[in-house]
Amino acid sequence: MKKTLTLLAASTALTAAIGVPAWSAMQAPADGVVRPVAALFEDAAQAMPLVLASDDDDDDDRWREGSRRGHDDDDDDDEDDCDDDDDDDCRGSARNPAPAGTVAPPRNGLFGNGAPPQAQVN
Amino acid sequence: MKSLLASLALTTALTLPGLALARPVTLTTTLNTYGGDGAYLALYVTDASGAYVGSLWMAGGKSKYYEHLSDWHRATGGDTAQVNGITGASVGSGRTLEITLDLADALFDAGYTIHIDAAVEDMRDSPNEVAVPLTTDGAGTPVSGRRYIASFGYDM
Repeated sequence: MKKTLTLLAASTALTAAIGVPAWSAMQAPADGVVRPVAALFEDAAQAMPLVLASDDDDDDDRWREGSRRGHDDDDDDDEDDCDDDDDDDCRGSARNPAPAGTVAPPRNGLFGNGAPPQAQVN
Repeated sequence: MKSLLASLALTTALTLPGLALARPVTLTTTLNTYGGDGAYLALYVTDASGAYVGSLWMAGGKSKYYEHLSDWHRATGGDTAQVNGITGASVGSGRTLEITLDLADALFDAGYTIHIDAAVEDMRDSPNEVAVPLTTDGAGTPVSGRRYIASFGYDM
């Protein structure tokens, strides 16, 4: 009887020693690093993958599709870096015009020689 | 004494035409409560033949959206130099933009027209939302826009 129990314990241990690493290898994690007992601890992680609830869409390009004559679908990250807020802090960009007060108004014949145009929003 | 009077007369003669060439004008644009983001507005002038003369103000600083101000964009080719030094922030729903500037006298009663193109993110573009002839009689008489602009008027 003792001998049978010993054989059972040995075969169980052998199965566990060989089987767990093999099972882990089949369920290799995404990072590619093979961990011998990964299957024992990361199984639940696969069952319930982490979902980030985020509204972090880049909304700056949401100009209406139906009305646009050239929707801004560009993936230009440099440009988008400048667009994450509305405070126009990309003033150094050559593409954007100089804000009022930083340079003289254009000489288009519309303005007199007095004070430059001033604006306020109420 | 005579030379002093002559100098005074000369400086006055030189100064007066300068003062008379332009007059301070306030352009007041009130937006409807359309409920969207800030509106981009291009205020510009065309002559009697409808040709673009120049821009008076650009509300909205990101040139990548100027194509939505389609009439202005078509007239200028999107040239941001047209609005260098006359660009401010976009105007929020229900807000009032008040621009004070010295406008050349020659623009009044000579067939010139002020136009406003408007565009709002995720909403329809509205080119030529307002077109108002520049006349001395028209000062102080607000007009309504088509979509985003509740009223526009100029006062002298």
